[in-house]
Amino acid sequence: MGLWTLLKSGLILDIYFFKNNRAQLVSMFAWPYILLVLMLGMGFLFGSAETFKSNVGVEADPVVFFVASTLIAMASMSVMWEVGGTVLFHRWTGTLPYMLIAPYRISVTLVMSYIPRYLLWSFMQLAEFVPVLIWREGLVGGLADALVMGLAIVIGMLPLLGFAAIFGSFLLTIKEETNVLSWLNPIVLILSGAFYPAYLFPLWARFLSMILPTTYTFELARISSLLGAPKLAEMTFLIAVLLGMSIFYNALSFTLMGKAEKKALKSGAV
Amino acid sequence: MWVKVKAIIWLHTLRLWRYGMSFINMVLSQMLWILLFIMGVLLFVPPEHLTVALRMAYWTIAAWSIISSFSSLVGGWTSFFILMGMVEEHLLRNTSPFTTIIGRVLTGTTVSFAIIIVMGYAFSWIFGRVLMTVEQPALMLLAFLLLIVESLSYALSISATSMRTSISEQFLEILNFGIIGLLIVPVSALPGYARLIYLTIPYVGPTYMVKVAIGSESPVLVKWATSISLIEAVLMVLIALRLMKSVEDHVRRNGVRAVGFW
Repeated sequence: MGLWTLLKSGLILDIYFFKNNRAQLVSMFAWPYILLVLMLGMGFLFGSAETFKSNVGVEADPVVFFVASTLIAMASMSVMWEVGGTVLFHRWTGTLPYMLIAPYRISVTLVMSYIPRYLLWSFMQLAEFVPVLIWREGLVGGLADALVMGLAIVIGMLPLLGFAAIFGSFLLTIKEETNVLSWLNPIVLILSGAFYPAYLFPLWARFLSMILPTTYTFELARISSLLGAPKLAEMTFLIAVLLGMSIFYNALSFTLMGKAEKKALKSGAV
Repeated sequence: MWVKVKAIIWLHTLRLWRYGMSFINMVLSQMLWILLFIMGVLLFVPPEHLTVALRMAYWTIAAWSIISSFSSLVGGWTSFFILMGMVEEHLLRNTSPFTTIIGRVLTGTTVSFAIIIVMGYAFSWIFGRVLMTVEQPALMLLAFLLLIVESLSYALSISATSMRTSISEQFLEILNFGIIGLLIVPVSALPGYARLIYLTIPYVGPTYMVKVAIGSESPVLVKWATSISLIEAVLMVLIALRLMKSVEDHVRRNGVRAVGFW
């Protein structure tokens, strides 16, 4: 079984998942818009775009800012649930022992079979936001924004997969996984500055946000919301940080997942 | 009858105690998701209006927490109840399965009020504003009672429906979340003729009463809101009772469809 087979199995699983679960497909398209409309609706009800610009300290379009934030938040949530939470799913369905004795390490199987889903779902959600981006920025500007967001989805995925696999290895070693997963996910999003930029946090929270790869993915995607010429130097810097983090987190996940697997096998936790 | 009531109260209290971690997780995670959402909204609010906006948002979300908790903890629990084979067990002992499901009001109330209190203290601490003060406690109490009755009736109606046909959990979640958008709109922001129509939407009347109780809305329509909400609550209870009765009759004759939520 090659790595290509794992990728292919992930893709086929997704196609059949969508085919057999139409409600899930509709909900996948509906959620980002519901979140965006609610947040912007409440924002404009209580305040204004001028206050938004003054609070974030940059000349940004609030609509594009929240499109980028929503898109990356949905993608990050998906990675954490689908890679980290898959351990839980396999434990419940009783397939975790089979994954542990498969030719590949569980981290490799989790990550490789998830990549098609991540790319498919994230780009489908990006595509549904393209009309909004064109409405805000015109045809060329809107497509350029979509390109920046697409880049953030792809580059941001690399460290996030390792990060989520570490999360998965942690879940392998503990009990009460659902109870941990549900509140760790929003904490990671809050600290990454999902809807409230991390640079506005107090110092201790800023330090925590610096070690999370999602922080840089959000910043990279939100460059698209800045008015005026694109900030190429900032983009290059964020891409470099994300690439560096992807080496660190994936190496760490490879080591930790092995240890967690051994511990789970030894204690009979699977 | 009293023995059955005692058994149901005992069952749900025991489950709440034994699933202690799950209870803490539910309260913590809901508080954190709401915080995440609120932080984004606050980027639009000028500093001088922060207290007013936060109070309004906090109490609206408090009202929504009841609606959301009841629909998931009472309505959503039905699928677990069906899968465990409990419907048949109850019918064999000549007990309506809905009496046990109604007992989930204990879980729903505990969880939703725990969320409201924890969220109140956490948000007051994080944003440095006093959020939990109430100007008219009696009106607030009545509003929350009406919300509980309406939410419980809705939850029991979907619970009964799910015993005959499948209900998409995805759509219920979307509906639940969309309700916040409906509740947050201030009555004063609407044109005169639309205000009464707006108050007739389920849950909107009691939420308006909550906003009046904290002093965020003008009390001009409070009598209308109270009357409309009372009528609606009674109607929703009657619909839920009718649905439960007809579904129970159907299940006794044809058996339960083990579909529930999906």
